[in-house]
Amino acid sequence: MTARRLPNSGHIDRTQALSFTWDGEPLKGYAGDTLASALLANNQQVLGRSFKYHRPRGLMSAGVEESGALVTVGQGARRDANVRATTQELYHGLVAQGQNAWPSVRLDVGAVNGLFGRFFSAGFYYKTFMGLPPFEWGRGTGMWMRYEKIIRKAAGMGKASRAPDPDPYEHAHAYCELLVVGSGPAGRAAALSAAQAGLDVVLVEQDAVLGGDSLSQPQARADLAQEIKTLSTAGVRLMPRTTAFGLYDGGVAGLLERVTDHVATPAPWMPRQRFWTLRAQYTVVAAGALERHVAFGNNDRPGVMTANSARIYLNRFGIRGGEDILIATNNDSAYSCAQNLAQAGAHIKLIDARDTVPRQLRAQAEQSGIALHTGMAPLNALGTKGVTAVELAQGNPGNWRQAGVVECDLALISGGWSPIVNLLSHRGIQPVWDAQQACFLPAPTTEPLALAGSAAGIWDQAACVRSGQAATQCALAHLAGQPVPKADQPSGGWEGAITPLYEVSVPRRNPKAFVDPQHDVTTEDIRLAHREGYVSVEHLKRYTTLGMATDQGKMGNIIGLALMAQALGKEIPEVGTTTFRPPYTPISIGALKGRNIGGHFRPLRRTPLHDWNLKQGGTMTMAGLWHRPWYFAGTGETIGDAYVREAETVRRTVGLCDVTSLGKIAIQGPDATELLNRVYSNPFAKLPVGKARYGIMLRDDGFVMDDGTSWRLGETEYFMTTTTAHAGKVMAFLEELLQTRWSNLRVHVTSVSEQWAGVAVAGPLSRQVLESCTEDPGCVADSTLPFMGVLETTLKGGIPCRIARISFSGERAFEVYVPSDFGPTVMQALWDSARPLRGCLYGLEALGALRIEKGHVTGAELDGRVTVEDAGLGRMASDKKSYIGSALRKRPDMTRKNRPRLVGIFPRDRREIFNAGSLLCAADHVEGYGEGWITAVTHSPALGHWIGLGFINGGYGEWQNREVIAADPLRKGNTGVEIVSPHMFDADGERVYG
Amino acid sequence: MAERHSPLATHYARGLHGCPGEPGVRLLEVPELTLYQVATWPETLPQAGAFVAQCIGAGVAPASGETVIGTKGSALRVEPLKWWILDTPIPALPAETGATLDLSHSRSRIRVQGSEAATCLNRLAPIDLRDGSFAVGRVASSGIHHVGVTIWRSAAGYELFLPRGFALSLWEILTETAEQFGLEIT
Repeated sequence: MTARRLPNSGHIDRTQALSFTWDGEPLKGYAGDTLASALLANNQQVLGRSFKYHRPRGLMSAGVEESGALVTVGQGARRDANVRATTQELYHGLVAQGQNAWPSVRLDVGAVNGLFGRFFSAGFYYKTFMGLPPFEWGRGTGMWMRYEKIIRKAAGMGKASRAPDPDPYEHAHAYCELLVVGSGPAGRAAALSAAQAGLDVVLVEQDAVLGGDSLSQPQARADLAQEIKTLSTAGVRLMPRTTAFGLYDGGVAGLLERVTDHVATPAPWMPRQRFWTLRAQYTVVAAGALERHVAFGNNDRPGVMTANSARIYLNRFGIRGGEDILIATNNDSAYSCAQNLAQAGAHIKLIDARDTVPRQLRAQAEQSGIALHTGMAPLNALGTKGVTAVELAQGNPGNWRQAGVVECDLALISGGWSPIVNLLSHRGIQPVWDAQQACFLPAPTTEPLALAGSAAGIWDQAACVRSGQAATQCALAHLAGQPVPKADQPSGGWEGAITPLYEVSVPRRNPKAFVDPQHDVTTEDIRLAHREGYVSVEHLKRYTTLGMATDQGKMGNIIGLALMAQALGKEIPEVGTTTFRPPYTPISIGALKGRNIGGHFRPLRRTPLHDWNLKQGGTMTMAGLWHRPWYFAGTGETIGDAYVREAETVRRTVGLCDVTSLGKIAIQGPDATELLNRVYSNPFAKLPVGKARYGIMLRDDGFVMDDGTSWRLGETEYFMTTTTAHAGKVMAFLEELLQTRWSNLRVHVTSVSEQWAGVAVAGPLSRQVLESCTEDPGCVADSTLPFMGVLETTLKGGIPCRIARISFSGERAFEVYVPSDFGPTVMQALWDSARPLRGCLYGLEALGALRIEKGHVTGAELDGRVTVEDAGLGRMASDKKSYIGSALRKRPDMTRKNRPRLVGIFPRDRREIFNAGSLLCAADHVEGYGEGWITAVTHSPALGHWIGLGFINGGYGEWQNREVIAADPLRKGNTGVEIVSPHMFDADGERVYG
Repeated sequence: MAERHSPLATHYARGLHGCPGEPGVRLLEVPELTLYQVATWPETLPQAGAFVAQCIGAGVAPASGETVIGTKGSALRVEPLKWWILDTPIPALPAETGATLDLSHSRSRIRVQGSEAATCLNRLAPIDLRDGSFAVGRVASSGIHHVGVTIWRSAAGYELFLPRGFALSLWEILTETAEQFGLEIT
C-alpha cells in the first residue's frame, strides 16, 4: 500500500498541522483528521494484531464498524484500550500505540499462533482442556479449573489503565418534538423540513463533523457548510460527536456525547463524556448503512478495506489509499469510488461479480480509464504485512474457479450494504430480509419513528432527501394525531441489481477467510459449528463468538448468517438474525455513572448538627444516607473506651445525642386519630392531647414493619417519629393507604424529618439540663411533664421547641426537637448546661449499648421476619380492633409457640465475648442453622460484661438454664452462652421515672 | 430570636468559579426561608383557595403547577390539594377546612440564574424546562441526584427547594456541574 495525502482536497484544515505519536514515532496530521486518516496519510499499514492468531491488521473501514485498527490511546490514567482509530479525532500531542502485540504490531512474537491456526477452531479451549484426555476421561473438569486462569490471562485486547479515571463525566436530560439520528442527506432533509414546519428538532451525529455521506462526496465543502448553517438558523439543535446508542420506551433515546475526547488538555470543569437521556415525541432514524466485506482468502490483510472507506479517505481526508488499486464489487455503489480514485491518479482495476453491468456504469468506467471485468471476484489476497496482489476467481457465486493474479497495493471490497437498523431492533422491531437488495430492512412499525435514507435501504441520494422529507410528514401527522402516511420512497435505487456475494472459494484451496475479523471467526468456524450440530443463529454466535466485541457484528453478521443458511440448505430469513441490543457502539462505564462517584456515589444527608458534632470531635458513621455521630473519643480513647464511657455517663449523669435522623411525620386532619388507630397495632383512639405513645406498625402480612412514637399535639394533629431506617418506608406506606385504600379519611401526612433537629437528653440529670435552657424551667417538672408527656414550649432565645419525656436508654430522658436552623444554637446551649454536670455527648455506639441493655428493638431485630410477639411486644397487639396486619398476624405459623422469640444473651464465662450474627445452637447439637441467631452485641458498662440480643426458638422460657452455644464458625468459633430475659438492666423500668 | 444556621454556610464560596469569562450560571442561596404548607380536602378546596389568596394578598389562589404572587407573599400549588406559601407567616386553618404546617426549616432555597441556568439544571434534573413547557410561574416536583426537589420558575430565575439534610450534597454537585458554564456564587 502506498498511501499519500493529495494536495488541496478533503475537508481537513491544512492550516492546522497536528503532531502525534504512533508506537513512539512522531508523525503529523491535520485538524479534521481521524487517527486512522492521519496514520493512513503517513502510510502506516499495520495498525493492530488480531485477537487469536495475532495476524497483522490494518484499516478495514473508516467508521464505527472498524475491526482492524483497534489501538490504545492516551497515557497514564488516561490510557484507553480498543479505541477504533477510525473514530478517534486527531489532536495535538495524541499518543497512540498498537496493542495485542509484542514487541510491536509490526513485529509480533505472538504471530507464531498463526502457525497453529488450524487447531484454534471454534471451541478450541473447551474442547481441549475440559476433561483433558487421557488424564480426565470421564472424570469431570478438575484440570480446567487450573487452565482456565491461564487462558483468561492470555485473553483480552489491550490494557486499560489501572489508575482511577481522572476525568469527570455527567448525565444530561433533553426534550424535543423530533429527534433525527444522522446528519447525512436524509437526516438533514428531515431536520430542516421539520424545523421549517415549526417543530423543535434535535439532530444528533456520531461523527465530529456533520454531513454523513456528503462528506465522502467530492463536492465543494462550502455547500455543506451552508446547509449546516441553514439548519442552525432554522432552530435545529445540532449535536455532533453524539451517538444515539439506544432507543427505549416512551420516546426515550440514549445519547453519548464525547465532549473532550478530541481535546489535548481538557479543562478540569468539562466532562469527558456526557450521557444524555433525550425524550422525543417522534424519531427519524437516518443512520445510514454499512458496506459489507466478502469472505475470501486472507481478506484481513492490511490494504484490504471497504470501497466506500477508500472514498471517504480520498474525498474527506484528501488521502489516496494506493496507487494500483483493485476494486471488487457486486453492486453499483463501488463505481463512483472507482471513478473518484481514478480521477485522483490511481490505476484502477474493477472486477464485478455480476455478469452484466449497466451500460452507463460501464461507459463511465471506460471514460475514466478503468479496466472493468465482469463475472469475477477476489479469491485470495497475497502479501504478508500488506496486500501485494490478489488472486482472482471467475464464474458466479457458488461456482468459482481460479482465474489469475492481479498485482495491487490496495484492495477495495464492496459486498453490498446493510442498513443500520439497530435502533429499531432496540424497540423490538425485527428487520425483514429483502432478497432484491440483499439486506435486512426495517419492518413496518406503529412506534412513533420512521426511517429515512440508506437506513431504509434507499441508495439514491435524491431519493434519500425525499425520504427524509417524507419522514417529517410522518412526524407531523403523528404529532397532530392524524393517520401517519406510509413511506412513499421505495428501497433500492441502483441501476443494476446486486448479486448476493458472501464468500468466494474454490475447491482444494482453503486459506483463512474471515467472517468476523475482530474475533478471528473464519468461514471454516461457521461450517464447523454447523457440522457439530448448531442450527440456531443465537447458539452459533455464542459458540463461534461471531458478532461479539466492539463492532457487535457490524462487519460479519450477514456473512455469517448467509454461510449458516447455505450450510443448512435454507434461505437467510429462515435462519433469522440476531437481535441488536443497546449500545450501538461502546459506552464507557464512567459515562454510565456520571457524577455519581466518590463523595457523590450517593447523596449525603447531614443533620443540622453535623458540623457541630464534628467540632466536638465526633466520629461519624453512615446510617442509611445519614451521617450520624458514632462516638466522641477523648484523648487516647479507642472506640471501645469512648462508647463505654459515654454509656456509663448517661447512666450516671446525663448525655446528649443527635437523634435528628429519626423519621418525623406530621399527621393532620379530622381523621388523624382514626388513621393512627388503623395503622398501629395498639390502641390510639384515647390518647390525650399532650401525651405520646409508643406504637408498633405491622405490614399487611402481619409482620412488624416499624416502631416509634406518636405525640398528640392537638385534637387533629400528631407528630409521629419512626426509626431512621424505615422513615421513608413508613411515609410512603401512609401515603399509599390514604390515596388508595382510605381516600375518604381527611388526613394529610407530611414528612417533617428535615424541619426538626432532634436531641436526646438522657440520664438522671437530664431534667436539670433542660431546666436551664427553657424559658420556663418549671415546664419540665415531673408534674407538668410526666413520663410519656409532650410539651410545646420555648427555649431561651425565643426558640420554639417540642419536648417529649420518652426514653430509649432506659434513663429519665427527653427528646427535644427545634426548627432545624436553630439546631446548632440549641445544641450548644444544652451542652453548656450538661458539661458542668459532668455530662457527655454520646453517639450511635453508646446508644446501641444502652438499648441492648434494656432489650429495646431496632432495625437489627425488626428485619421483616418478626411478629409483634416474637419481639416480646405481644401485649401491644390489640385483639379488640381491626388494624393493618391484624388478620394475617393470626395465621397458624405466626402464632406457633416455638417461633424464634427475642431473648437476652450472656456469655457463660463472663470474661468471654461473642459476635452479632452468630447462630444459637443447643450445646449438644451445634449444626446447621441452629435454634436462633444473635442480632446485636455490646459490652455492657452497667453489667460489666458482654451481652447480646437475639432470637431463639421458643424464647427465654424454653431455654432458661439450658446450655447454648453461640456458633460463629467463620470468625470466632463457639462460645458458651446463657439465654436470659431481654430486659437485662433495670427490668422493672424504674429509672425512667428518675 | 436566635440566628438561623444555613446548611450551606461552610461551603458557600462567593465569587467566580470554573470556566472563565461571563458566567453562564449564577447561584444564590435565598436565606431565612419562610415557607408554610396549606393542605385541604377535596370538598373544601374553594374555601382553602380563598384562604391562600387572602394570606398572600392576591385575588385568587394558583391552579396546579402554577404560582400566584401577591402583595404579601407567593403561593405555589405543589399538589392538587396542597399549596406552599412563601415569604409570609400564615394563621392556622380550621381542621374542617384544611391544615397548615410550618416548613420554613425543612428546605434550602437556591436561585439558579443566568443564560445557561436551564441547561445546567437539565444536567441534573429530568424535567422539561423549555419555555413552552415550563414558563415563568410554573412549579413542579423533580429530582436531583435521586433526591426529590421542588422547582419554581420565578421571574428571577429557577428557585430550587432542596430538602435541608441533602442541601449541601446537592449544592456540591450543582456547583461542580455549573463550573463548565462559568459559575458565579453571589
